[in-house]
This record gives sequence, C-alpha cells and structure tokens, in this order.
Amino acid sequence: MNFTLSEEHEALRDVAKNFLSKEVNFSKLLVPGATVEQAGYDEMWPKIVELGWPGIVIPETYGGLGMSYIDLAMIIGETGRYLASAPLFGTLAGAWAIEKAGSEKQKTDLLGSVAAGQLKLALAVSDADGNIDGEKSDATATESGGSWQISGSKSYVVDAPSADKIVVMANTNAGKKFFVVDRKAKGVTVELLKWRDITRQVANVRFDKAPAELLPESKADTWVWIRNRLYLVLAAESAAGIEKALGDAVDYAKERVAFGRPIGSFQALKHQLAELKGMSECATAGVHYAAWALTENDPKAAIACAMAQSYASEAYRDTTFRNIQVFGAIGFTWQMPNHLYYKRARSNAELLGSSRHQREQIIQMLEKDTSPLAA
Amino acid sequence: MDFNLPGENDPRRIEVRNWFKAHPKATYPQMAKQGYTVPHWPRPWGLEADPELQLIIDEETKRAGIVPPHTYSPIATNQCGQSLLTHATDELRQELLPPAIACEQRWCMLFSEPSGGSDLGSLRTTARRDGDHYIINGQKIWNSMADKAQIGVVIVRTNPDVPKHKGLSIFLIDMKTPGVDVRPIMDMTGEEPEYNEVFLTDVRVPAKRMLGKEGDGWRIVMEQLQTERMGMTNPGAVWGFGPTARELILGLIQTDKIKDPVVRDEAAKIYVEGELLRLLTYRNLSNRINGKPPGLEANIGKMVASPHGQRMSDLAKRTQGPAGMIEQPEVLPLPDKDYGLFANWDYSYWFGVAATLGVGTQEILKNSVAERVLGLPRDLDPTAGVPYKEVARPQLKAAG
Repeated sequence: MNFTLSEEHEALRDVAKNFLSKEVNFSKLLVPGATVEQAGYDEMWPKIVELGWPGIVIPETYGGLGMSYIDLAMIIGETGRYLASAPLFGTLAGAWAIEKAGSEKQKTDLLGSVAAGQLKLALAVSDADGNIDGEKSDATATESGGSWQISGSKSYVVDAPSADKIVVMANTNAGKKFFVVDRKAKGVTVELLKWRDITRQVANVRFDKAPAELLPESKADTWVWIRNRLYLVLAAESAAGIEKALGDAVDYAKERVAFGRPIGSFQALKHQLAELKGMSECATAGVHYAAWALTENDPKAAIACAMAQSYASEAYRDTTFRNIQVFGAIGFTWQMPNHLYYKRARSNAELLGSSRHQREQIIQMLEKDTSPLAA
Repeated sequence: MDFNLPGENDPRRIEVRNWFKAHPKATYPQMAKQGYTVPHWPRPWGLEADPELQLIIDEETKRAGIVPPHTYSPIATNQCGQSLLTHATDELRQELLPPAIACEQRWCMLFSEPSGGSDLGSLRTTARRDGDHYIINGQKIWNSMADKAQIGVVIVRTNPDVPKHKGLSIFLIDMKTPGVDVRPIMDMTGEEPEYNEVFLTDVRVPAKRMLGKEGDGWRIVMEQLQTERMGMTNPGAVWGFGPTARELILGLIQTDKIKDPVVRDEAAKIYVEGELLRLLTYRNLSNRINGKPPGLEANIGKMVASPHGQRMSDLAKRTQGPAGMIEQPEVLPLPDKDYGLFANWDYSYWFGVAATLGVGTQEILKNSVAERVLGLPRDLDPTAGVPYKEVARPQLKAAG
C-alpha cells in the first residue's frame, strides 16, 4: 500500500506545470468580447505534440508512450490548472474510442497518427438534450453496399472545430456503434457554439449522409469504458483547478486589507477557505484513486471514476464561486481571470452529465454488487 | 502508488494472526509484552511499527475479538502516554509506562474548564509549590474516562505573572488522591455518561510528577492533541467510530429505502464523501510510512469527517419517520461487527451532536486549518500577550 505520488509522478507534473505556466497567457481572453477564437488553440498544439502528450496513454504497440493513467492525470491536471486551450480532451477521447472499438489496422493507422501528432480527434456522443448514455442517439448510421453513412446530429462536441476526424456514436440496427468521420467530408457541418467557457471549443455537428468508417469492435460496454476515462480527465482538470482557485483566493485574502486587517484574518472568510481546502483534498484523493484503479484495471474502477467526477465537478463549482466572492466585485469583472475558472467549472459539471447522474450510476453499481460495501 | 491495503496473505499479517491463534484468550499484559498494545511506540515499549503494521495489528486485534487498546485506554496508550517518552524523567517513565501499556492503569485528560471552553490557554486551575509537592485547586470538565482512570493528566497554571500560554504546567496525578472529586455529567442522549467534571480541592501531588518543566504545559498539550489516532481508519459516524456510509447504503438497499429518489442521491453523496475520507486517512498513513512528518492533514480529515458523520446518521434517522423519535428503536439493519461505543444508528445520531464539539469545536478546527495549513493571518486575541493575572481580573474591560 502506498497512497502517495511517486517522485516520478511529481516530476512529470512539475514538467507540465513549468511548461504551461510559461505558455498559457490569458491576456487576449481577458479583453471584453473575447471568444474561444482568441484562446490560441492552434498555437500551443505543436508544442504539446513535441512533449508527446497526445500519445501519452496510447499503447506502445501503436506508437504511443504507453504510460499510466496516473501519469496522464498529472499532465491533465496541469492543463486544467492553467486552463490550457488545446484539443487534448477531444484527441484523448477519440483515441480511446479507437483503442477500444477499432480494428487492428485502424488502431495501427489512426492511433499511430495521433501519437505522432499528425491527427487531432473529437468524440461526438452527446445528444441535444445533454444525454450521453441514452439508448437512442440523435445520429443514425446506415449501411449500403458495405459502406456506412451517418445522418442526424451530435451536440456539445468538445474540440470538433480543431479535429481532423470525429468519432461518432450513432444508432444502427444492431444498437449503438462508433464510427470515424472526416471533419472535412461532404455532409459534415461543424457549428462552433458560443460556449461560456471560452478556453474550450465546443460545437454541434450535423451529418447529412456523411461517409463513415465503422469501428467494428463496438460493443455494449464500449461507451462505459470510454466514459470512465473521460470522467477521469474532467475530474483531474477540476481537482487541479480547485487548487488554483483556492490558492488564488487565499493569496488575495492575505493581501487585501479592509478595516485595518487583511481580510483573510476574518473568520467568515477563513472558515469558507478552510472548507474549500477540505474539498480540495478530497477531490485530489478521488482523482488519484480513479487514475490508479484504471491503471490497475481494478474492479472498482467504474465507481472510482464516477466518484471522482461527481465530487470534483461540484467542488470545483463551489470553489470558483467562492473564489469570486473572496475577491469581491473586482472578481466579477471580465478583465480578471476568476470567471474563466468559474465557467470552466460549470462546464465540467455539464459536459458528461450532472453529478447527480454520476451518483445514480454509483448507486446502481452498488445495488448490482454490494461487495464494495463490505468493510 | 498502490491503493491496495495489506492483504490477507501479507506475511506480517500472518505473523500477527498466528500469535493471536497461539494466545486464544490474549490479555492486554500479554499483548504488551509482544509490543501489540503500543506498536507505534519505539522499543522497548512498542515495535516502532510503521502505520501499515499498526493497521494490521489493529485489524487482527479486532478479529481476535479484543477491544483495541487505543479504544480501551486511549489516553495512556496514545495521546498522553507517548509524550512521556520525550518529556518525562526516566524515573517517571519507569513508574507510569509499564502499567499504562499493559492497560492496567487507564488515564484521563484533565484539560478543559467550565470558564474556558475552546480557549484552553485561559484556564484557571492553579498549582502552588509546597516543599517537594504542589497543591492543585480548580475545576475541570468534559473529562471522558475520569470515572474509570487511575491517572489524570492535568494542566494547571503555575505562574500567573506571564502571558496566559506561558505559565502552564502538566502533572500526572493519582485519581485516588484526596481532594479529587469526579462527578459524571449526564449528556443529552440520556445514555450512560461519557463525560465527567472533576473538582480538585487542595490536591497534593509530588513535584516529580510534573511532566517536563514548569511552563512547558502549553507546548506539551499541543503535541498531545496533535497525536494522530492511527486506529482511526474508518470514516465512522462519530469521530471515526460507529457505522460508516458503506453500512448506510447497505441498510438502505436491504430495506428498499434506497428507491426513494431524494434519499438515493443524498445517500450517494454521503457514500462518495466517505470513500474520499478513507483515501485521505490512508494517504496520511502513507505519508508517515514514507517518512513525511505527521502533518496538519489530520485536522483537515476531522474537519470533513465530523459533519460527514452527522449527515450520515441524520439520513439514517430520517428514514424512520416518527418511529425514530422513540427511545432506542431499530433504525437500519447493521452487519454484525464491532462498532465500538457507537454500535447503532440511534446512538450515533443523538450523540453525533457532540461530534463537532469534542476534540476541538468545528469552528476552532476551521481556524486551525485556515491559519496553520493555508497560512492565513492569525486571529486577534487581545489577551494573548498580557500577563495572565491582568486578564483574569473579574471581567475584561470593554475595548477603549
């Protein structure tokens, strides 16, 4: 048993931190009226590729680094801490779909290209009502003469505008399957949304008889396998974002003087900040546990991932909300970065279903198998 | 990183289990000889056990049907006993520690006072030197086990001429000394009293029973209160004891009460928090194994755990409706195992009110997390630097 990070994990995290602290610059985003177009999505990507991040958890057989989910959580945490704008979420998500459901040839070709930094991806699963687990999908795939076409739409697709290919979850006669579509193919329309979190590209995608390539190993459990990993990614972003928002609030409370004292000496603020510290520790512990469980293929991995996401997303929302309260009115202005974190937190709590939704999944898993409840 | 707890086949566990098999009715003195009552203490008292071995010994002790020493005699085997290793003379150690680790003498803390509450440093009990003795006068309160203990660890004021935290000293008194009067306090649960008040009237204590030197009292008490309870690995309903969120979910599933959508979500929330608290506790254990000093993380853990336990018992209680207002009802089914003092949801619920009062109130705990972990400025205490005798005048004058 060893519940703490190794020196290697900490070193990896510090490399990412060091890189992102120099690369990420909010100056263009903090101009009122800024949109995700000013987030510099394309500028940072070549450097991220150089660091090998797109292929970090892609198995070595397919040209990736084959590192663990704990390693991944170290890096993703830092991208969350700095709100790095880059199509990493979409590329990881698409790559997981291909890893789980693709043929050997697709894995060799597509994952190899991702790892080499030549292919960016997005994963389209959400429907217009926000449902990501539904039996039905707003997109349907049909086969004729051995080739597939998709029609319909997918919503809230992260990183779709940057992606070269989009992996789509669509209905077929034989249930939900995953397909790969060229973003530039005829019949594919990507419509960038005015998403409140301007550090992240989110788009709707419409398909009109768009040519699609089936990932033939799509099975009933494919989506849950991917979803667990996406929970980890968002939770890792959130947990590190909590540390950042809390740290900023604490620093400000030490500096800002009112009524002759630093405002951080008032118990009303102290107690709030202490509570957030407790939440921050819990969120981080949950992320580490989920990352470990996925790495070890632990039977409790699905519960661990749902726990991490449900807790971290709510704690992130609470922390960023109170962060603005600690800063006072200045924290409510566009020119301060506080709102970027608040909006990221809110968005992280919506993109993969609500916290309540994840808690429902946890209870269902426990109802099916009560063994995790044995002391 | 490895989140697996020491397994059933862990060689150290097998060794401990074999010892208990060979000693089917093991007594505390036998366990003490083996180092099993205070495994975390240095030799020759303990085993210098790392937290993992402590966990194993704790689990195997319970499995053998024995109340763990840190539950039966917590003050002697844990918080206060340990501080004799650093602060006591050799003579005092030889006198008090052997019966302490054999659980033949139990100890109690005589810290809090009626007038002070959380502001322990303003305590009023005094000790006056009289030849090779001191004479103690005052009143203590909220002393658990004072009615059962043979030794009392009492903090008193030996010098009123210096600021309040500086004039304090600690004595180890025999609870049978004339002038020690222990009276149980009936708490709001109406169950067997957990707490006492202790009146000290002209109590003569030998000077050699002082722990450390005159004026060391505050520093030593702070150390004692920081000592982590390593046995406390379960996020139970009250201070880590009692049923946990796992038993809550199990009971709700067994009674179908989990089907109520509101109960369902609330229970899930509590379950998630309980699991994360477990991880925090184990991470603290790992930090100790990895040689990191016992930090202030324990404060964070307790700050989260106390209201967590209250919410947990509250949900269990609410599933009963009005039937839960009858004395000693069956609440939710509980798997058969040792829950310590808080063996059912009903008592956990009613006693749980005290979870955010005892061992430092929730508010003081938050202050300490804010000041000592986050580094926020300390709260103002206008009495902190003032000689105690000026502070102690009947009432403070209003500011200005």
